[in-house]
Parts: sequence; structure tokens; C-alpha cells
Amino acid sequence: MPEQFPPKYGTVARSNQWGTRVKPNKHGLRLGDINVGVYGEIPDRWDDQTRNPRGAIAKKGVPPLGYAIRDKADLWADSAADLYEEAIQRRFASATDVPWDTIKPLPDVLERAICQVLTELCQYANCDIEVISQWQHQMAYGYHEVKQFLATATFDATRMYESFRKRALCNGGGLGLEGPGEINRMILESRGGWSETVTYLLLMRGSFMQTMLRYLERYAQNDAERSIYRFSLEAKARQITYGLDHLRYSIAHDDDRRTVMQTLFFIGDRVWARELGDHVLREALSIVFAGGLENAPTTGNAIYNRMMRDFMNEYLGICEWLGVKRDLATLPGRMSQYVTGAAG
Amino acid sequence: MIRFPSPAWFDAVAAVFNADDRYRGAGGGQSFCRFGVIVGEDIVVVTMDGHECTGADAVDRAGLADVDFYLEMPRSQWLAMLQDIAANGHATLNHTLNTIDLDLDEGLSKSVHGDQYREDLFFRYNQTLQFLFDASARVHTDFGA
Repeated sequence: MPEQFPPKYGTVARSNQWGTRVKPNKHGLRLGDINVGVYGEIPDRWDDQTRNPRGAIAKKGVPPLGYAIRDKADLWADSAADLYEEAIQRRFASATDVPWDTIKPLPDVLERAICQVLTELCQYANCDIEVISQWQHQMAYGYHEVKQFLATATFDATRMYESFRKRALCNGGGLGLEGPGEINRMILESRGGWSETVTYLLLMRGSFMQTMLRYLERYAQNDAERSIYRFSLEAKARQITYGLDHLRYSIAHDDDRRTVMQTLFFIGDRVWARELGDHVLREALSIVFAGGLENAPTTGNAIYNRMMRDFMNEYLGICEWLGVKRDLATLPGRMSQYVTGAAG
Repeated sequence: MIRFPSPAWFDAVAAVFNADDRYRGAGGGQSFCRFGVIVGEDIVVVTMDGHECTGADAVDRAGLADVDFYLEMPRSQWLAMLQDIAANGHATLNHTLNTIDLDLDEGLSKSVHGDQYREDLFFRYNQTLQFLFDASARVHTDFGA
């Protein structure tokens, strides 16, 4: 027999703020809408080390869970709640939302090049999953909007991984050579804090991946590939928006952050330059952009160079927008050769 | 027949777009932004609010001050894009917003304030914006001279 006790119900009535009645608006009841009263008070530091939901009454004696990221400046972005809603609404199911039947047999060399690019994109997506999830559990619960958005970012990365892999394995090809992965390792091993990882993962590699997805969509062979790249592009853009918003917030609340980022970019550029020395991805992209091997050294290579110029313009534009000074003279040659405008 | 790029034309496109649930899934969704469309001397500011396109207003250059981004290309390219959409029911490869943005030297999506955060909306809502222009396939358009 379970233990019997006379119910008192006294504890059920306890609340920091009872009588809260948030009404849905014409867009529904969104995560940001319920930030009212004590539930919307988001402090600069979250000292509670438990899973106590923001606004609930804390329980005494709960063993600490050891959250390492408890300062708002280390993870916050005002847009996180909106980005979470956006990600939930704009999710796609690759099994049914991608028109797989539009994929037709391609010349072997073109299929091989597409599969090589997809192999390396799988590595990028896999890195995103591991990196975001390894930081997520270290973030204090008081900033649940960020944790929730990052959960969607992880799921978006899994959908990208899934879609890239499916495309590689559905048209007579297969996965190609593993990429050098030096950037992935740098991102995975960045231990200086989440903001450092955001700098590398979402701004540096993120802006490169976004640029690459745009070009892959442009030079896709069929509607299935176009769908995959377009869906991925939206997801990557959300991640970059979070990165921009967070770092802007962080810079505004941490005097040293901008200088630290300057150093991080200096270090990251060198790893990036080493990765650019690998010719496999460049050659594969040139073949994809040219639609085959014949024009890859000319047309394909020219489009690759244009993609790299667009990437550098975007990358340096982000640095400029964040107020992080860059000395173009210190850029490695493999990057500076693509700098064209006045950005930076 | 409604003249492009008048506010009335965008209102007609919005009526098609707002009524079609297919534009809300598969990468589509709610969007919140104001963007400009520049076609020669004509400038229209379009408002997206949730699942709907809720407004289109003719403005002058100063009216672009508070848009998140604006789309600008020569009239002939606007017409080529819309005629492709009308012929195919949606934009085909060489006429998607992303393709045009990449192919134009100055790009299609531009900013008056250089705000990266707001410029990024063009990519975050790219599918929805494409759906909006694709909806013009069901509007009888007067492309003018």
C-alpha cells in the first residue's frame, strides 16, 4: 500500500506572481510574449545553480548543477525568443519537403564533385551539432530563450546533415574524401567561452557556409538540391543573426570583448588559411559551378573566386559592423587575395 | 491588368499570397520586416507582418530610411523576373531572388544603414519573399513600356 497522508494543498498555492494572464495576439502566443512581470525579469547574472525555471520559487538545498555560463553578457541575444519561434515555424522535413524525384542521373564527374562538396558540408553540420550541444548544458536556466533557440539550431544542423547525406546517396554516387577539418577542430576546441565559439562557429565559418550555400543554390542541378540549400540558407542566416546579436550585446557589456575578438580573428584567420590550402573542396566547387569538368578551370574557378570575394566581403563587413578593427595587412595571403572593397 | 510596380499591384499579389496556405510551410513562415522595391523612379515599401503581406506604399528615396533592406535592379530585369514567374508559375533558376542577388555586381538586396542584423532578414525570410513574388504569377500584370 502506498503511504497515505492527508492532503493539505497549501504548497500548491505558492507563486511569485499569481494571476498572470498573457493573451495570444494575432500571431499566436509566442515565447517572447510571456516575458511579463517577474517572468520577464532577466538579470545580468544568474546565480541559481539549479533548473529552477525563471520566476519560480527556488527550493532550498538543491545540489548545484555547475552551470559555467551564468553572466548574461556571455550568451544573451535580445532576438533569441523571436529566432526560436522563427526556427520552429520554418522547419522542414527533408523526407517530404524536398522534391527528390527531380534528381536525374548526372555525368559521373559532376556527381562526384557534388558528393565531395556534400561530404564536407556533412562535416560542417556535424561540427555544428557537437559544438552547440557541448556548450548548451553549461548555460544557466535563467536564459532559457537562448537555450531554446540553440536547441533549434542543433536540430537545424541535424536536418542539414541528413539532407546533405541523402542527396549524396540517392543518385548513384556516394560520400567522398573527408575534408581537412582544421576549422572544425579549432571550433570544437575553443574553450575560452561561448562567445569565442560563437565568433568562430557562427561568424567566421558560418558566413563562409552561408556564402557557399547561396552559390550552391545558384548552381544547383535540380529543384531538390535548390530546396536543400535554400532551407539550409535560412537556418544558417538565423544562426548568424543570433551570433551578431549576441556579440553586439556582449561587446556593449564587456569592455574587453572587442579586443579579445580582434585576437581571435587573428588566430582564426591563420587556421582558415591553412584549410584553404586544401585543393579538394575548391576543385569540387569549381566543377559544380561549371556544370562539369570541361569549364571547371576557367568558368568554375572564376565563380569560385567570386564566391570567396563575397565571403571575404561579408566576413570583414561583420567585423566592421561589430566595431572589431581589422588590419588587412595582417590577413594571410590566401584570404587577402580575395579582398576587394573597402570593408574592414 | 494592374501596373507593376504600383502599390495596387503589390496589394493584388498580397491578396493571392495571404490566401494560400502552401506559402506558410516548407521553409515559409511568419516574417516581420519592411522592405523597399526600387524600379527606376518608382519606389514601393512593402510590409510583412506574420503570415501576411499587409501593406504597400509608394514613397520617395527618403521613405527608405526605415526599411530593413531594399531590392533594386534595372526595370528590364524586374520585368524579366516577373515574366519568368508568370510563364512558369514560379521563378526558375536564373530568376530567383538569390540568383539575381549573386549575379548583379551591386547585388539585389541593399541597405541604407549598413545594419548587418537587418540585412540578414533577406536571407532569413528568403523563401517567403520568393513565395511573395511567385504569387504574382496569378496576377494580371501590366508591365508597362
